[in-house]
Amino acid sequence: MTTNTTLPTPYEAGAVFSTDATSMGPLTIEEDAALQSGERVMTLNMGPQHPSTHGVLRVVLKLDGEVIIDCDPVIGYLHRGTEKLGEHHRYAQVIPWTDRTDYVAAPMNNLGCVLAFEKLCGVTAPERAQYWRVIMSELARLASHLVWLGTHALDIGALSMSLYCFRERELILDLFETFVGARLTTNMMEIGGFSRPIPENLPGMVRDFLKIFPERQQEYADLLSANPIWMARTKGVGVIPADVAINYSLTGACLRGSGVNYDIRKAMPYCVYDRLDFEVPLGQHGDTYDRYLVRMEEMRQTIKIIGQALDQCERMDTELMAWDSEYVIPPHKGTMTTAEDMQRHFIWVIKGFSPPVGEVYVAVEGPKGELGYYVVSDGSPLPYRFRIRAPDFVNLSSLPYMANGSMLADVVALIGTIDIVLGSVDR
Amino acid sequence: MTDKPLEPDSGLTQPETREESEAASIAKESPDAAVASAPVSDVEGMKEVLLDDYTAWSRDHWFHDDIEMHPALIALRAAFPDAVVDAVRFRDETTIHVAPGQWRAICLFLKDHPRLRLNFLSDVTAVDMLRLRENPRFDVVAHLYSLPNRVRLRLKTGVNDGESVSSLVPIWNGANWMERECYDMFGIIFEGHPNLKRMLLPDDWDEGHPLRKDYPLRGWSEFPVMNTERTVGRVRTRWTGRGVS
Repeated sequence: MTTNTTLPTPYEAGAVFSTDATSMGPLTIEEDAALQSGERVMTLNMGPQHPSTHGVLRVVLKLDGEVIIDCDPVIGYLHRGTEKLGEHHRYAQVIPWTDRTDYVAAPMNNLGCVLAFEKLCGVTAPERAQYWRVIMSELARLASHLVWLGTHALDIGALSMSLYCFRERELILDLFETFVGARLTTNMMEIGGFSRPIPENLPGMVRDFLKIFPERQQEYADLLSANPIWMARTKGVGVIPADVAINYSLTGACLRGSGVNYDIRKAMPYCVYDRLDFEVPLGQHGDTYDRYLVRMEEMRQTIKIIGQALDQCERMDTELMAWDSEYVIPPHKGTMTTAEDMQRHFIWVIKGFSPPVGEVYVAVEGPKGELGYYVVSDGSPLPYRFRIRAPDFVNLSSLPYMANGSMLADVVALIGTIDIVLGSVDR
Repeated sequence: MTDKPLEPDSGLTQPETREESEAASIAKESPDAAVASAPVSDVEGMKEVLLDDYTAWSRDHWFHDDIEMHPALIALRAAFPDAVVDAVRFRDETTIHVAPGQWRAICLFLKDHPRLRLNFLSDVTAVDMLRLRENPRFDVVAHLYSLPNRVRLRLKTGVNDGESVSSLVPIWNGANWMERECYDMFGIIFEGHPNLKRMLLPDDWDEGHPLRKDYPLRGWSEFPVMNTERTVGRVRTRWTGRGVS
């Protein structure tokens, strides 16, 4: 007796397969119209787990063959409600949340947030702290640009760039680790300056890094700038004219690649940028290759800025923290030995402080563009409104403009050239 | 691409024509000219406009102690007599409250004014003023920036819940996502927006708008609380000496 252990195929079971499209259920109006008109448009879902989307970006593309006719970015997969959290924490407690937005350049986020709170309270950090803020935030810009270059080149096909760039980024993270002990979410700055001392070996380490880095960056430029494949993939791709860039509120390299001279470090100098000598690189054509050149030149200028800032603050011997009895955290000295110091410190941390009623908008030139913090105070210890103007959120809104009419393979180049970090886009 | 000469990475691409190089050099050197791609004649004309009667429009007036000397306020009061509700100065930042009816017209006026030239939209957001005042409930806030003049201006208008304010997308495309986020977080309707739907939250989010002040920190819905009831009795090991249930 033989037993048939295999299941019958659907054909054997008598299933009826129809080639009629309506057998899968009623068509929507759009599908019906598309069928009737003979249109051949395919909707392609890209993401949210696509490796070239730098996180959790989903892009819904409508394709005619390989040409994109419509592009709809869908974001929000990493939305953590940082602004709502900011309204439920005391001012000093909000600063660590900003590390988590643009996590590849955490000190830059700290800087913008801290400058906004200081402007609200009327506190000014000491000069030496401002120099070190510049140094640390410029190192963060360098780290962010390295991540951008590595992933952007990886998307387009230059695999080894990501290995080289992350190698140099490790050196920068080592500098952060020497200073504060953390590498990614550093929580470096506080209202009034730095509460930690600068380690004695840190300036030397930064100088060593400044010696190493320009040669390494030249290697990257040698690998990419004249590379025929790189130029074929980037030149003439994603062109944004200057007026369109302004119209889309682009900032950072996306705006300067189109030739618009808007760098907040020059236009409205904060910290000590008005004492430092650097240039703002501008692009000519507004395409992906120009934005690449602008960011590469920005990295060279950043090296220049850090060197000057180190030279200028080398002999300064002042404190790193402003003294303000109300808005600045009391010094840690004595908190472990005397009851009065401990109580004052404890009460400041637990109760927070109440800034005057008002509102400020402070923007810093982040690695990706204008990083703005809009803080509204109602006189309570909690911010009444804490708004983060994320540069890459606004820059990403120009993706449909750039992608429409281009090829499918260019979308990864365009996403890379906007330089997004989804933690910052979704906040 | 190979037949083209390889460009050195010594900076940026070389300008191809003389006009381009002139425009670029002007944009780099002159503080007034921010747009490199603008023709030379346009930049020169802009300079003339700025130099003409320069004392009345100097940078000092943007930060004058008397807020009534603020150029944008003077121009707005002249063009829209009833629109300006209030003007506040705090820490060198000027806020102008305007009536909601002429929101888009005022922004267009400030953008196209030949001397104010507040042509860059930095940010659009909102503030829920629930605990601070009775009426209107929300403030829609726009941060404008002038690329030639290098000054910021904050514009505000008040809307109530359920009312709409005209969208700025016809003026600046950059307002598109900012207003969508604003609708998502506060539920403010922007009239004339081409695609007003949820931005950061899911499209089918039906629990309201989370940045409103009456929205609780953990949301409206009840979270499932796990492990409050034991369906199986506690199993004790023999090492505790209490036996196994």
